[in-house]
Amino acid sequence: MSLSTSSSDSQAWGRWLAMFVCMSALGAGVIFALVVLVDPYDSGRFGFIGIEGIRDESPRTANASRGRDPQFSAAVFGNSTGQLLKPTELSQATGMRFVQLTVPGTGPREQIALLRWFVGHHARADALVIVTDPVWCTNDPALPILNPFPFWLYSESPLEYLGRLFSSRALGRLVRRVQLGLRLRTPSAPDGYWNYELLGHGEFRPAPPPNEPAETAAADQTRFPAIEQLASFIANVSNVPIVLVMPPMIASKLPWPETREAARLAACKAALARLVAARPHSNFLDFRVDNPLTRDQKNFLDPLHYRAPVARLMEQRIAESLRVGSGGPTTF
Amino acid sequence: MLFNDYAFLLVFLPASLVIYRFADPHPEWRIGVVVILSFIFYSYWNPPFVILLALSISVNFLAARAYLATKRAGFITGAIVANLAVLGFFKYANFVSENLAYLFERPFWHFNIALPLGISFFTFHHIMYLVDLRRGKAPDYSLGRYALYISFFPQAIAGPLARWSEVMHQFGRQVYRPGWQRQFAVGVTFIVIGLIEKTWLADPLGRLLDPIYVQASHEPVTNGNSWLALGFGFQVLFDFAGYSDVAIGVGLLFAVQLPFNFNVPLQSTNLQDFWQRWHMTLMAFLRDYVFIPLSNVKIGRKRYRLVQHFSAMLLTMALCGLWHGASWTFVLWGALHGCALVIVSLWRRYCPRLPVLLGWALTAAFVLLTCVIFRAGSMEAAMNIYRGLAQLPDLERTVRSVPIIAAALCAFLLPASQDIVARLTERPKIGIAAVLGLAAVAILVELGDRDAYEFVYFQF
Repeated sequence: MSLSTSSSDSQAWGRWLAMFVCMSALGAGVIFALVVLVDPYDSGRFGFIGIEGIRDESPRTANASRGRDPQFSAAVFGNSTGQLLKPTELSQATGMRFVQLTVPGTGPREQIALLRWFVGHHARADALVIVTDPVWCTNDPALPILNPFPFWLYSESPLEYLGRLFSSRALGRLVRRVQLGLRLRTPSAPDGYWNYELLGHGEFRPAPPPNEPAETAAADQTRFPAIEQLASFIANVSNVPIVLVMPPMIASKLPWPETREAARLAACKAALARLVAARPHSNFLDFRVDNPLTRDQKNFLDPLHYRAPVARLMEQRIAESLRVGSGGPTTF
Repeated sequence: MLFNDYAFLLVFLPASLVIYRFADPHPEWRIGVVVILSFIFYSYWNPPFVILLALSISVNFLAARAYLATKRAGFITGAIVANLAVLGFFKYANFVSENLAYLFERPFWHFNIALPLGISFFTFHHIMYLVDLRRGKAPDYSLGRYALYISFFPQAIAGPLARWSEVMHQFGRQVYRPGWQRQFAVGVTFIVIGLIEKTWLADPLGRLLDPIYVQASHEPVTNGNSWLALGFGFQVLFDFAGYSDVAIGVGLLFAVQLPFNFNVPLQSTNLQDFWQRWHMTLMAFLRDYVFIPLSNVKIGRKRYRLVQHFSAMLLTMALCGLWHGASWTFVLWGALHGCALVIVSLWRRYCPRLPVLLGWALTAAFVLLTCVIFRAGSMEAAMNIYRGLAQLPDLERTVRSVPIIAAALCAFLLPASQDIVARLTERPKIGIAAVLGLAAVAILVELGDRDAYEFVYFQF
């Protein structure tokens, strides 16, 4: 490939380069202008043309909009094991206005980010319901992330957010929001509820054999780094009623009594209960128990995910807890 | 720092061009500035390994100087052995240990070490220069020029594996001399085309194929997905060809024309032709510094020369496989290609010529099928893919294979990227510049999706 040119050619190639740079800059400028005008994730940071609502099927990103929606005053947090709690039922039972902010496949770090986001956007939150399944019982201080999560969307820095808006995913959301503004699309459910039972049956495998006895493993039952972080968060929202919920699972999959797992789960539950013990209108609800309800396979979609009748019962207990506090129910 | 990182494209590269603009009028600064920029580029990944790079350059330079002063071949031999020992330690020590443990049924050493980025490439650069110095072909160079040959950032991490004779004379040349605008235009076009190959052809294939290979690593592949898995050949082609094209483009922005690395290999009509078009700079290295010496060394009688020739071919390809990674699957992949090359050589010598279309189909099929071993990571996983080929793909899900069809059409029908670039930059057409500018923005937007947030937790 020959690279030699004449002087007149050099000028023409100079114009070629100028056009390349100008078009790149123009394209990038137009995209930045659009994202600033539209605010693709409805995070409230930009969005100067005032489109309301979002069309976003992913709660990972959609919760940025829901979590700051002023029509809600209370929220449910957690992963898929809290997803079936219905905001409308909770609202009806408590008189508060609930939104679902659970995100499937998340752990404590992501859920604390969402808790901070919700509280940061509500001067006076009525209640927080946190479905603390055993991912909160980890002893790993790093609180590892199992699936990618957009922490930048929930960060305090608008610049960090802006830096992430230059992406095809953000542009996709932008187009949907513009369509929403033009009434070419309907918005996603504002309360974030979605019934996973629509997916059909899961799989029930035989229960594992018992593991080591409890007395061989007492050393790692004292520290729960995720619960420690939750304690720091809770300490900063002193006036807000909080209900912590250990969700049910099918009884056949519960840890065998007097094993390391059972001891650790019991210690974790105790640590969670202590967090809200002296707090007004707050409670720890332990649904991870062995009883006729959790023994019946018909009540579960798969070993971890309960069905609607169980969710309705849990909602009642949550509402009672918000009324009477830690003197209220402890399980189903 | 990878070529498709924002850190490289939006920060390092523009900053390097600005810095070099100031150095360009001063001939004595040019090489030093690019060496410093190259070390910064290298240190971004793992700063401590810069010491290894600096040490590697110093020791080899001193060995070359010692040889020139004394003419003792031992300096060259010692340096080459030391280079291979360092490469062997970082890349193969744990592999050797695992095999010894398997043989003797007891644990051996295990090092928790990261592989220094580009170590295979800079080791081969050293070897090329030292061997040619010993052969009397290579001249003496200053430390700065030698350091730049080893560390020149466009080629330091993943090639192209340029020979000293191809690039040494280009280092330190004035960039902003008459005609630099065309050179920049060609460089920019190479970068955009390379990023298109990587971002729009290779990466979508990766997203499609990764779950299939993950499944194959622990269970049989069903639903005809194994047929999709054959698309890995296209993925690796566009991934590496794209990377090489970006490297060539960046090189041109510093007035260095690096050698081409790919020349439409999947349009080859036989396997020998394929290996002259695939990772061409590595194959040229292996041919000149492994195959020819092995083939020419005098062992046994003359009548066994043909056996020696084919054995050298087989061994070279097995080493080529091992170079790609410390695993027996890579060795097997290389050995299979070696065997096939022997068969092709014998066929061409003793059998009638195959029709072009049949030759092309056999070559492409062989390459795509053996790429499964290259990617699978274990023979069990590869066999899970091969067994799955008994099941035809689900036609209702054909839409999933669109990235494979697009990549296949590009691989089989389009000219080589260097020919595309040459055609696009024949004359300074403003329209092409505008389209490339917008394409660059579109690529940056695509690269903005650094995480996969669309995790679907539907399987629970």
